[in-house]
Amino acid sequence: MGPIVLLFIGFLLLVTGAMVAIATHRWRLVCSWLSFVFVLLAGGCFLYLAILVFTSGPIAMAGPLLILPGIGASLTIAIDPLSALLLLIVSIISSCTTLFSVRYTLRYQGESLVRYYPFLLFLFATIVGVVSTRDMLFFIAFWEMMTLASYALVVFERGNAVSLRAGFIYFLVTHVATACLVMAAIVLYVKTPAPHSFSFDSLSASLGAIVAANSALVHLILALFFIGFVTKAGVLPFGFWLPNAYPAAPSGATAVFAGALEKAGIYGVVRIFCELLPISHYSYVWGQVIAIFGAISIFVGTMSALTQDDSKRLMSFHAIGQIGYMLLGIGLGVFLLPINPPLATIALVAGLFHMINHSWFKPCLFLNAGSILYKTGTRDLNKVGGLLRIMPFTGATAIIASLSIAGIPPLNGFSSKLLIFESSIMSGVGSPLFIILGLVAIFISAVTLASFLKFLNSAFLGKLYAEGGIDTQKDVPLSMKIPQGVLAFLCILFGVVPLLPMRMIHSAISSILPANYSPAAGFLFGTSLPGFSLNLGQGVIGAWNPLWALLAMAILFALGFFISKAGMARTREAETWYGGREHVVEHVRYAPHSFYNPFKQIFAFTIKGIKFEGMYPRAISLPRVTMPGRLKAAFDIDHWLYYPFARGFMRLSRWFSRVHVGIPQVYILWIILGVIACIIVLFLLPAG
Amino acid sequence: MSFVIGIGILNLFIALGLAPLFEGVARKLKALVHSRIGPPLIQPYYDLLKLLGKEDIQPQGMYFARVVPWICFATVATAALFVPMGTDRAPLGAAGDAILFIYIVTLVAVCLIMTAAASENPFAFIGASREMMLQLTVEPVLVIALITAALNARSFGIGDMANWYYFKGPSISMLLATIFLFLALQAQVGKLPFDMAEAESEIVGGLFIEQSGPKYALLRWTLMAKQIIFASLFVQVFIPWPRIEILVLDILIHLAKVLGLVLLIGLIDVVNPRLRIDQAVKYYLVLVFFSLGAVAFAVIGA
Repeated sequence: MGPIVLLFIGFLLLVTGAMVAIATHRWRLVCSWLSFVFVLLAGGCFLYLAILVFTSGPIAMAGPLLILPGIGASLTIAIDPLSALLLLIVSIISSCTTLFSVRYTLRYQGESLVRYYPFLLFLFATIVGVVSTRDMLFFIAFWEMMTLASYALVVFERGNAVSLRAGFIYFLVTHVATACLVMAAIVLYVKTPAPHSFSFDSLSASLGAIVAANSALVHLILALFFIGFVTKAGVLPFGFWLPNAYPAAPSGATAVFAGALEKAGIYGVVRIFCELLPISHYSYVWGQVIAIFGAISIFVGTMSALTQDDSKRLMSFHAIGQIGYMLLGIGLGVFLLPINPPLATIALVAGLFHMINHSWFKPCLFLNAGSILYKTGTRDLNKVGGLLRIMPFTGATAIIASLSIAGIPPLNGFSSKLLIFESSIMSGVGSPLFIILGLVAIFISAVTLASFLKFLNSAFLGKLYAEGGIDTQKDVPLSMKIPQGVLAFLCILFGVVPLLPMRMIHSAISSILPANYSPAAGFLFGTSLPGFSLNLGQGVIGAWNPLWALLAMAILFALGFFISKAGMARTREAETWYGGREHVVEHVRYAPHSFYNPFKQIFAFTIKGIKFEGMYPRAISLPRVTMPGRLKAAFDIDHWLYYPFARGFMRLSRWFSRVHVGIPQVYILWIILGVIACIIVLFLLPAG
Repeated sequence: MSFVIGIGILNLFIALGLAPLFEGVARKLKALVHSRIGPPLIQPYYDLLKLLGKEDIQPQGMYFARVVPWICFATVATAALFVPMGTDRAPLGAAGDAILFIYIVTLVAVCLIMTAAASENPFAFIGASREMMLQLTVEPVLVIALITAALNARSFGIGDMANWYYFKGPSISMLLATIFLFLALQAQVGKLPFDMAEAESEIVGGLFIEQSGPKYALLRWTLMAKQIIFASLFVQVFIPWPRIEILVLDILIHLAKVLGLVLLIGLIDVVNPRLRIDQAVKYYLVLVFFSLGAVAFAVIGA
């Protein structure tokens, strides 16, 4: 069978795990731990498979697993390095989030776990299905199952109206997006040669034929695919559902959404625009479109995040912003494919590298927010503070992940952002558009930093404070700390040896591009072990070698340490002095909503009564669809059929009722008049 | 290798060892403007030495706060290794470029802000918030100036930029970038009229209100070194002339240029009142907009 069997074992483990979770859901801890064991085993299979692909090339099944001959679809399974990247992400994220959920779900005593673990495990299985199939029909089938599983997780809190509403919008929007995918696939499908087929290869050939015919149909197909994928990824304006849906799910599930689910959208974009679409001037056009949407997401998403005080909502907006960075890198790469292969490869590596990095730091941050929620019972940053004192480990991982997402060296976010910045600015020599987009990315990187410093400063630093009291002795349980520790460690690892993941991504990129198209990794990024230097063929244009910088920093840290100890100054602990007055914590706290106020006001405005804070409307109310009055009247059968009769009858009755005056003599008069009228009628009638 | 270590030590000596001396000169100038005699030139050294022996009062139970000043010091000293100072390349130029320099400088600000926030004092929080807002609006100007140089030199290496400009001679884009970076310099080094993050008369030292003893000495030293590093970057990349190709003379010329710039910064510092933070933010946002002009000229190759 070969190593591909590991994929099936992993898949079956997840499905079995889901069933076991259903069977044992009444015993909460048993159910949680069993689910974790199944996920861990499956994750191990996927991780081993991914490593195998990176070391010894793509793995594919000899023949299709399942054939639907009537419609030309066959479940073909193949793992190329690009799929392996996603498998790597899924394997780590799934184990970490399930372990985190073990104790975290104890918060939700009122909710049945049968609506959590089975769907979570099913979600992992479907993501694996999405990235490992090479047939569009099954791809869409897995995609749809993925959407349904994630919908179930969004509405996990059944009693919460906000969750239900967010879930409904999520359901609606992602199904419109899936419809776009289906349409695009069908348009391509009917253009395939006679025995129609849904396989990626034949769809690619048919797209190539349409491109060669230079038809406007290409734009339609690409637009449909683009909308379908980026809606899932959460790119503005298509991803407007995201800031409401992410916080609604339990933190473990939110971490999966940010870590693995939205990456499926990025995977789709890369598959379509780099592999299925032949390199042509359509790549040139659509690269710019992707990059512009990316830049819009970066700007609007992150500027809105700056105004948020709800920890999970803040991070959800940052998820939008960070997806923008990935799309900027990928769009730039697609744009450059026809004109500058070396720079295009660097940009694509940059985008995918940011995708992997985002899978480490953003789930870590969601788990941090989940820990705060677990400990204090609130997501509102205005109501907590100084938690580093009671949860130092969570605080440390939050600091690492926050600095990582803000792109501070030597953490992993810096390496990928550096690649995105430098490639977009170097491409600007030919096309100034990308300099502007690159500058937006650099500027917003600082805004990201500001936003996460607000998060750190208010939640973890400062004076210990929790509205509604807090147990100051107990930290969060170990099973919640380990996942955060693993993810923070990966942030550091990928930051200190950036060339290791970059080589993997480079092999993923060159495996989907035409053979010998992209230059070798050693040529582009240098051959030194840990760091990289960028080379486009005219000498080195940029470099980042973390080990040297870290070595220097360590030596200088020691120097600073010894200098500060040289005076042998005494140290003393003291409470902060507030002018000697009695005080309560609320009075001496600097609450997060007051951070950056002058800056936030510059980017706040009002259009037609909708208040925008940081470029994003404070509350989106979906426009109410109303029918025109006349049409409404036409549908209203009562209105024109029943009411006229009824009204006439009523009028008649009212008129008749006037005879009831309540005087007996008048009634007798009526009776006499009636009898006379009857006699006259009888006389007038013809006899017989 | 030994050359790299040599210029590394030289850079550290200039950025850390000579920074208080430059500060002393600036103080002398300030006194001159005030019609005072002023302290001796080496007063900043005395201040630092005195602070090193003073009692260190730390916030309760916040171990994190005790480490950050050292990280801050280490970061700023590392930043000194990425800027050439009188030589044609930076000691660690092969390990990092202009973007790295920008982010290392940002890391210094991050450390200052987190030190402030860890101290739980509301004044420190106000200072932190202001520092971050300034960073948000000033950083783009620095970025745009360096990107202009990078587009011209077709490389992000700071040494490459300096060498390109030295051989190419003045151009419109670089002159514009020089002007805009100069306007941003005052805020980068935290001097009046942009010292709202400290603002002694208003929020009693802001970021540094809870610092004392050796930690405060390190943080003050960090600020002095930051000024020298920025001045070095400015004169090295944007005013690379004259260069004699004799190492000792080049270093002396570099020091003279840095001294001139420090005096200029000190002069602006002493004759200006403090702006409010919202005024500063608006000022720099407008400046960012105009500085895009430098990039535009760089794109068309002027």
